[in-house]
This record gives sequence, C-alpha cells and structure tokens, in this order.
Amino acid sequence: MTTIANPTTSVADTQAPHYNPKSETAGAKRLKSIIFHVVALAVTAVVLYPALWMIASSFKPNAEIGGSNTSLWSSNFSFDNFVTAMEGIGGVSTMTFFTNSLILALGAVVGTILSASVSAYAFARIKFPGRSMFFGMMIATLLLPFHVVIIPQYIIFNQLGLVDTYIPLLVGKFLAADAFFVFLMVQFMRNLPAELDEAARIDGAGHARIFGSIMLPLMKPALISTSIFSFIWSWNDFLGPLLYLNTPEKYPLPLALRLFVDQTQSSDYGAMIAMSVLALLPVLVFFLVFQRYIVEGVSTQGLKG
Amino acid sequence: MINRRNFLTTVALGTASAAVLAACGQPSPAQTGSAENPVTINYTWWGNDDRAERTRKAIALFESKNPDIKVNGNFTDFAGYWQKRATEAAGGGLPDVMQWDLSYLRDYGQRNQLLDLSTVKIDTSAFDKSLLPSGQIRGKTYGIPTSTNAFAVYYDPAKLASLGISEPDGSWTYDEYNAFLTEVGTKSGGALFGSSDYTSVWWMFNIWLRQQNIEAFTEDGKLGFSKDDLKEWWNKVADLRGTPAIISEERITQLLPKSAFGSNATASEVTWDNFMAGYLGDSGAKELKLVPVPSDDPDNLGLFLKPSMLMVASAKTKNKDAAARFIDFMVNDPEVGQIFKTSRGVPASKTQRDGTTFEGTDKLVVDYEKSIEKYLKDAPEPPIVGFGTLEASFKRISADLNFGKLDVNGAADAWFKEAEDLIKQNA
Repeated sequence: MTTIANPTTSVADTQAPHYNPKSETAGAKRLKSIIFHVVALAVTAVVLYPALWMIASSFKPNAEIGGSNTSLWSSNFSFDNFVTAMEGIGGVSTMTFFTNSLILALGAVVGTILSASVSAYAFARIKFPGRSMFFGMMIATLLLPFHVVIIPQYIIFNQLGLVDTYIPLLVGKFLAADAFFVFLMVQFMRNLPAELDEAARIDGAGHARIFGSIMLPLMKPALISTSIFSFIWSWNDFLGPLLYLNTPEKYPLPLALRLFVDQTQSSDYGAMIAMSVLALLPVLVFFLVFQRYIVEGVSTQGLKG
Repeated sequence: MINRRNFLTTVALGTASAAVLAACGQPSPAQTGSAENPVTINYTWWGNDDRAERTRKAIALFESKNPDIKVNGNFTDFAGYWQKRATEAAGGGLPDVMQWDLSYLRDYGQRNQLLDLSTVKIDTSAFDKSLLPSGQIRGKTYGIPTSTNAFAVYYDPAKLASLGISEPDGSWTYDEYNAFLTEVGTKSGGALFGSSDYTSVWWMFNIWLRQQNIEAFTEDGKLGFSKDDLKEWWNKVADLRGTPAIISEERITQLLPKSAFGSNATASEVTWDNFMAGYLGDSGAKELKLVPVPSDDPDNLGLFLKPSMLMVASAKTKNKDAAARFIDFMVNDPEVGQIFKTSRGVPASKTQRDGTTFEGTDKLVVDYEKSIEKYLKDAPEPPIVGFGTLEASFKRISADLNFGKLDVNGAADAWFKEAEDLIKQNA
C-alpha cells in the first residue's frame, strides 16, 4: 500500500476503516460462502429440473403428466408406468431392447477404441506416403453432413443384403470411420514425447510393441473419453437404427421409446417417461464409473513436461 | 492438407460404385409359394404398442388362413416412419405392403413408387363409392382405405353440466357456435376456455369451403379459393380472439405436448372423430361426445369421409399376388375388423364393418359417422404434393394471428405467398 504517503487517507482513516478483504471477519467469510453455495445450488436446481421433472413424472398417472398439471408430485403415486414399460411392445420384451442397445453401444466402444487408436498411431507416429492427404481426407469427412451420405450408404448396404443386421451400424466403428475420435487421439499422441518411442526403438521394439506397450498405456485418458462419448452416442442414436433395422426384435431403446408416443392414437407419456428413466441408468452408471479416470487423466497430463 | 482433386475423385468413385451396385438389383420373376415353401412378404406400419399387438393377431390369422404366405411385420413411430420410407424409396428397398397416410399418397404415387392396385385382385365391392377416389391419382389406384374418419365437434358433457350450459345438438350456424364458445368462457369466469381457435384448423376451413361448394384445390393442383375467402374465414372469430371464448396461443404452447382439449383447458374442439381414444386418455374424462360441425347452410355440412389410413404396395414388390391377398384380407375380412375395432378408424369396407361389434367409445364414433351419412359428399382427391407443409404453415400463420403478430390481411398474404411458392416448386 503506497497510499500511506497520501495525507488525505489519514483523514479518511479516522472516519471509517478501509475496506480490506484480508481483515474480513470469520462471520462475513461464512456468509459469503453460504451465499455462494445457495446460488450454486439454485443454478444446479435449474439445470437439473428437467431430470427431476422426468423422474417425478414417471410415478404419475398418464392423465396427470404435462398439460395443465403443474405440480411436481402427484398424490396418485404409483409404479404402474414402470410395469407398463417393462411389459415391452408388440410382444417384444423391454429387456430385448436393453440387450440390443447394450450390444450396439459396447460394440461401438470396442470398435472405436481398436480402430481409432491404431489409425491415430499411424497418423501421429509413422511417416508414410500420402499421410497428410489421408489426414486431410479424414478431417474432410468431419465436415460432411451425415444427411448427405444417408442414401448412398443405404443403397450400398441394401445391395449387399446387410439391411436389418447390426453390420451397417457397427462396421464403421471398426473401420475408424468416426473421424472425430481419430482426430482426438492423433492430437493426444502428438503431445506425447517422441523420446519415449525413440528409447523403445533403441531397445529393439517394433511398431506393434511401441503401440501396445508405450502408447496405449499413456493414452488412457483419451481412450476413456472416447469410450464415454462413443457409448453415449451409440446408446442415444435414433436415425441409424431406424433406417437399418426392420425387425422389432432387433430394435434398440431409442426406437422403442418412440412407440409409446403416437400422434395418431393415444400416447402413453407415463410409460415413455418411465422407460426414459430406465434408459438413462446405464449411461449414468457408465459415466460415473469412468468419470474418475477423466479427472485422473487430466491431472497426469498436468504433471508432465 | 486437403487436396480437393483427390477428394472429389474419391467421392465420384464412391457414387459410381453405388450406381453399379444399384444396377445389380434387377427384379426377378414373380414367385409363388406353397405351404411347405411359403413366400415371405414384408408389411410395415406406424403406431403404438396397442396397434402392434392387434396387427400381430391379424397377421397370425392371415398366415393360418394362407399357409403359403409368411408375413414379416415391423413398425416404427409416425415421424420415423416417413424418414425411413424416404430413404428406402431412394434406395429401392420399400417393403412389399405398407400402411399409408393420405398426405403422402400423391408424392409416392407420382414418383411411381407404389403399385397400381387395380392391376391386382382386390375386392372393393363393399366400399362406399364416395370413398375410393381418395386412393386414386390420374386413374390409377394406389391405395385402398382401411378405415375412415370424419370431422366433428367434440365436447365434454360433464364440463358443460357443471357450468349449467345445455348440450349442443349439432345443428348450428357459425354464429351459434361462436355464441356457445363465448358462453363457456364467460360462465366459467375464464377458468375454462370455449375452444382453441377453430379457424386455425386447415380441414375446418376446407369444410367451410365445401359448404359453399368451393373446392380447396383444383384438379390441376392449384388453389381453388381466393384470398378474400381466407380473410373472411379468419375474420369469423375476429371478435373472439383474446376473450375467454378462445384459448390463447401462449397457453396452448405451455400445455404441449398435450392438446388444450386433452389438458382439460377447453370445453370443445374441432377435429377428426378418431382422436376420441387419445383425448379420453389424455384428459381422463369419463365421456366425450361428438356432434356435426357448424354450417350456415343446414343442408350442406361439407362433411366427407376421409381414409384414416390406406394400404399400399411397393411398385417393386416381387410378390404382387401375395401382397394383394394380404391387402384384401386386411381391408375386407370381418375378423380383422373385430381385432382392430375402431383403432384404425371406422372400418371402410361394409363387410368388415358389419362383422364387427362396437361397444363404448367405439360405438360412439361409429354412431356419429352413421348419423352424418346423409350429409356426406365425395371425399376430396389425395392432397397435392407438399400438402403437409401447407397444412403446417396454415396452423403457424393462424398462431401468429392469435399472438397478434399479424392482422388478418397480413396473415392471408403470408399464407398465399407460401402456398403459391410451394405449388410452383412442385409443378
């Protein structure tokens, strides 16, 4: 504080104490902390309200959902919606839809992890002719809107007789067609010190060994975030399964969810919301289990360098 | 980095290979099945859990009566249904037999995606002659109606009784209907609205035009009415907008996804008579009743039967006969009527209608259609291509009218501009 030299402040000092955050009393500190938490909680409540609404509504009778009913809880609390939701649709049990969704989502995770990491290794660490061209083309597929390729893709898979199988939905994942994940991993790998590879090479390791023993373990954070996104995207995908699956026994959850709401007939909002709640659980569990690793990954990255 | 020439070559190669692959799919000669070696046809429909269950029963019945045909059924929701059909049509993979909606008939029919059903054996002798043209375009029959619906005014008798208002008998002019809406709004003190703005409903406008013997669309797909007609229509409730007679647009938006009537916010609503089950489910009301729409000419109510859905076959089907037999079964068989009741609408074929026993709500809808029989005129032709867009913009522009963003003149100008642009585009 250089203001001591200023004579006017000494006059002011006699009238009122200067505001100094360091001299704040413990009471004021607690007050600030309380205000901060109340505001934070209020914001959280606003953000989480739709989820709360969904969970509350899943216990309401259909006629009390939406419309002019504004109360969150119903006095007619019941589990009926969950019973209806678990009964399945048109003779297909809800467990079948869950299993299908799981097969697709886990297939997508495994496929993406395997193919994207290998491709990323090639792009980041191996010099081969046309590397930058292929990299550019891969980025170009990111710019291509999905809707442009729907019909050509459908024609190809239809002529190959692969419609109504999971192959059109999974083959791309195993062929590193998700350029976003490849790009993510390339960027991650470029940040890993090249000295590690060089050291391994001196010890006689080939590409397979460097990739498997050096790169993969170091890439854990990138692999985890790829898994989470890949799982959630596949779990929530509606258009892909809609176009490529015909047999109701093969439908995943997002298709089944829509069947409860039909504009041309009566809609069972209750069952749909109950099923949405159930459909949310695996994603939530998946996220909670792996979320720890994201944080871990960020902190190890911070230590490096 | 990105090499444009290489990129283009790749795309061109991909497209070319797709075209080659597409050319491989030549239609093979028609197949016939036997009980040991049945032919398989694909049938697809939209609808909920309940319809899936009923359709499964109908398919099982068909297969037991026709052991030489196997039917693979699959279903999606209504919105997804049309995304899927559009992709399949472009990719040449439409299922053999499909449940169809009237507003998509002309679009797919004109693009030669649908089979001309007059070339195969389907019995239409039990159908009302005024109904069949709605499945025909330029002399070709693309769709056979499974069932019908008609326009009506719904009301909730319990709500009227609680307000001390006597139930309408359905012979009323527009002024009388407006007076009824106002009475509901004022007597309830604003707690209950009369209805949503009925002039925002395209089909109600269409019916009003028919009441004056004006066709909404001419045969060559142009508009058959003038801007003044539309202005006169939207002015019908000019004095009611913003009063308790008509529910505000803000409130309607708050109530979504449910309708105002389904949320118990209004006492009446004009719409198709097959919405009954949906309204009962949404509102939880014990009973809803149906009466004819208002008309200033008591002898011409402008009413007609519209196919609530149709059966169509893909033009590329390899099993025309099997497809035809399945369609014939679905529209004519009395036992199928007994399975579906009125969940598809009131059965269109007389043999199916007579073979079905209707109870409760079902009976109410069937009785309503019987009561208006003497007023029915020919159903309009299948709507023009892009009709769905026109219907939606009619609703949207009416909503702007209710929000006060537009006056009636501006609204009519806006709608006419959109309609004329769209008709020009598709001509």
